[in-house]
Amino acid sequence: MKPSLKFCGNRSYDDYYKAVDSGVDYIGFIFAQSKRQVHPNEVKQWIEQYPYKRNQRLVGVFVNESIEKMIEIAHDCKLHVIQCHGIESPKILKELKNEVDCLVFKTIHHHAKGVDLMLQYDDIADGYVVDTKTEDSWGGTGIRFDWDTIPLYSQEATRQCVPCFIAGGVKVENIEGLLNFHPLGIDVSSGIETEEQKDERKMMDMVMKVKNSYQAPDSLGRFGAFGGRYVPETLMYALEELEKAFEAVMNDESYFKELHREWERYSGRPTPLTKAGRVSESIGGAQIYLKREDLNHTGAHKINNAIAQALLAKRMGKDQIIAETGAGQHGVAAATVAARYGLSCKVFMGEEDMKRQELNVFRMRLLGAEVIKVTSGGKTLKDATNEAIRYWVTNVNDTFYLIGSAVGPHPYPKMVREFQSVIGRESKNQFVEETSKLPDEIIACVGGGSNAIGMFYPFIEENVRLTGIEAAGKGTETTEHAATLTKGVKGVLHGSLSYLLQDESGNVIEPYSISAGLDYPGIGPEHAYLRDLGRVTYESITDQEALDALQTLCQLEGILPAIESAHALAFAFKRAKELSTEDTILVCLSGRGDKDVHTIQEVLGGE
Amino acid sequence: MNRLLSNEFKNKSNRFVPYIMAGDPSIDVTIDIALALEDAGVDAIEWGVPFSDPLADGPVIQAAGERARDKGMNIIKAIDGVKEARRRGLTVPVILFTYINPVLAYGEEVIISKLKEAQIDGILIPDLPIEESESIQRLCKQYDKSLIYLITLSSKSRMEKIAREGEGFLYFVSSLGVTGSRESFSKQIDQSINDVKSYTDVPVLVGFGISKREHVKYFHSISDGVIVGSALVNFIGEKKGALLDSSQKEIAINEIKGFVVELIS
Repeated sequence: MKPSLKFCGNRSYDDYYKAVDSGVDYIGFIFAQSKRQVHPNEVKQWIEQYPYKRNQRLVGVFVNESIEKMIEIAHDCKLHVIQCHGIESPKILKELKNEVDCLVFKTIHHHAKGVDLMLQYDDIADGYVVDTKTEDSWGGTGIRFDWDTIPLYSQEATRQCVPCFIAGGVKVENIEGLLNFHPLGIDVSSGIETEEQKDERKMMDMVMKVKNSYQAPDSLGRFGAFGGRYVPETLMYALEELEKAFEAVMNDESYFKELHREWERYSGRPTPLTKAGRVSESIGGAQIYLKREDLNHTGAHKINNAIAQALLAKRMGKDQIIAETGAGQHGVAAATVAARYGLSCKVFMGEEDMKRQELNVFRMRLLGAEVIKVTSGGKTLKDATNEAIRYWVTNVNDTFYLIGSAVGPHPYPKMVREFQSVIGRESKNQFVEETSKLPDEIIACVGGGSNAIGMFYPFIEENVRLTGIEAAGKGTETTEHAATLTKGVKGVLHGSLSYLLQDESGNVIEPYSISAGLDYPGIGPEHAYLRDLGRVTYESITDQEALDALQTLCQLEGILPAIESAHALAFAFKRAKELSTEDTILVCLSGRGDKDVHTIQEVLGGE
Repeated sequence: MNRLLSNEFKNKSNRFVPYIMAGDPSIDVTIDIALALEDAGVDAIEWGVPFSDPLADGPVIQAAGERARDKGMNIIKAIDGVKEARRRGLTVPVILFTYINPVLAYGEEVIISKLKEAQIDGILIPDLPIEESESIQRLCKQYDKSLIYLITLSSKSRMEKIAREGEGFLYFVSSLGVTGSRESFSKQIDQSINDVKSYTDVPVLVGFGISKREHVKYFHSISDGVIVGSALVNFIGEKKGALLDSSQKEIAINEIKGFVVELIS
């Protein structure tokens, strides 16, 4: 069982709301003399201003306080737990319990006879906190005791059927060590602070590590150090407005009803799960399954997000959408939803890409969109995005920017993830139905990373290996690749902090890949975070490997994948060889290859 | 020393602050231009750093940035350019105008400490809104530099928060959109500037799109000063050939000076 987690010593409104947002189980306030002491009136005001979540419990910490005072404060602040942190006797605790509705915890100041002391509170204390006491302070010292003794405390608490929190010196850096002792509960205070204030990032890391529950991004749109909002001030208010509108529809059943109806009846969801039987057999290793996003209306996963954002734009009363596009898939998706929902649509596309993807340019125009040729910079996706942002800055009041990938300023990466995670949710159900278990590994290609994050997100807390595949172009040892996580360094592009292909002066480098959809010098900030957390592994695949995999899938399964998706396939084929026939791999087949026929023909010639 | 916090700068009125792109067409010429601008009577100079993806800039400054980058200009060389300009006698306050990524590429503290070394007085980062500016603001305080914030007509409820954090001056963006000339301006600016001034004593300067004498006059009447970028950068761009030709350089520099004198007069 996962340990309970308590964040103690919240001493300001900021500390408090960060604790609420972190999703922690217990939120503690110190009413005793301490540098973290708070006044009951403050706490009362905070909880009125920002209600805590239903599963969260408020704890008041007291040291040798009078029973009357504790009752009064517990009542005023609607405490769920009173923590007696001094040398309150069993008799006092008993009296207190008779007078209040809330639970009463006893702090045991660790010493050789600590467990014996717990025996005296058997049947009285509703829980324990084991802390370090020093000469001059009642705990909260940030000093850890000998953790080898934790199992003894846990044993006694389990016998008494009550929780037992381990406190003192717990921090993000040593939490993994503590978890090895399987504590029933963990109590952190200074370990989640920076300069005397609670630190959102440390709180999030702590929750992630203790609960194995994934909370990113925080309220500022940060995934650990990544993400955020690096845009001109002109756009800030619009982003705040968008965030509010997005959070509102996330809790709006009518929106979800409409969205799901459109996904089903317009785009053709759910997309099937197909077993690639002949490919698996020819490889002779793991069984490979394909999530068929290629069977969506317009031929790729991009439409999932485009429908959702267009419906949001309508609700916000914006009647013009703009979009950037590289290969044209997102541009086509945007033009499609604009037609469907009666919005006007401008698509920004680099001059170079317009030449390479003539057919998609025509398709967008046929759908009624205006395609705007971008001639700045390298005249590809990066520059199209710059130009779309510049247009947005100028027309921010009536324009909705429909971003197609899990990139951009907050709330875009979160929003795109939410809208694309229909891929992972469906896959989970379908996979369990088909094989009675979850896949051993899931593989998806990553440019900006929208199909990958949509596929991975519902599996993040599961015991499934997750692998993202970047484009190695002509090889990561050359200068012609788009392997951002493999070769990039931290930087800001298009509104968020992530990894970035750049030169030493901080100028962005033009990437290269045969696949226009992966030909992007940045990557979604959440992928950067998941990589640094070690939760997702990122590998790269060259143009040639992708083309080989594309042909294999055509010949053995009769499916023409997009060159982007062929990168994921190529890695899956490699991996399958290393695994047994009992193992399973799920590949996100993010799009179909019809759009790439021209490119493939050029490369393969008359073969 | 931070010249933006000096009484001299604080007590001025009708301030005029030009923007120039470091390294366009060469760093030596940029320094010559800066000295000529001081001669022309400007009150401070915004010193632009070229960047590959200048989201807040229109075509004129984008093109100037490309010209400078082609010459190998980067944030470090741009800062060193100010150091050299100081050595050659530049005394007005200088504000480094750079996107955030070049700063991160070298490290925030490396860059902010270099500002001090080069006697640059402030830094303006157009893609660093107040929410993301905490660590740079801390460093600026530590090194006695001003972090200049942008306020726009679309800041709305954010205006007060930004105004109260402002130091050196506040850069009021005249209109929605990117840098570059405009013919007309919103009627709400007057009121918005008054709103900003109700929260702070820091000077409020207006920029974006100001290209004519009438614009300068108008904004001087409703604010504490103006910033002129694209119009000047465009003029410098047109003189590129002459500026790089030693026999014509002096005349070209004089023309640039004349262009600014005409705007201020």
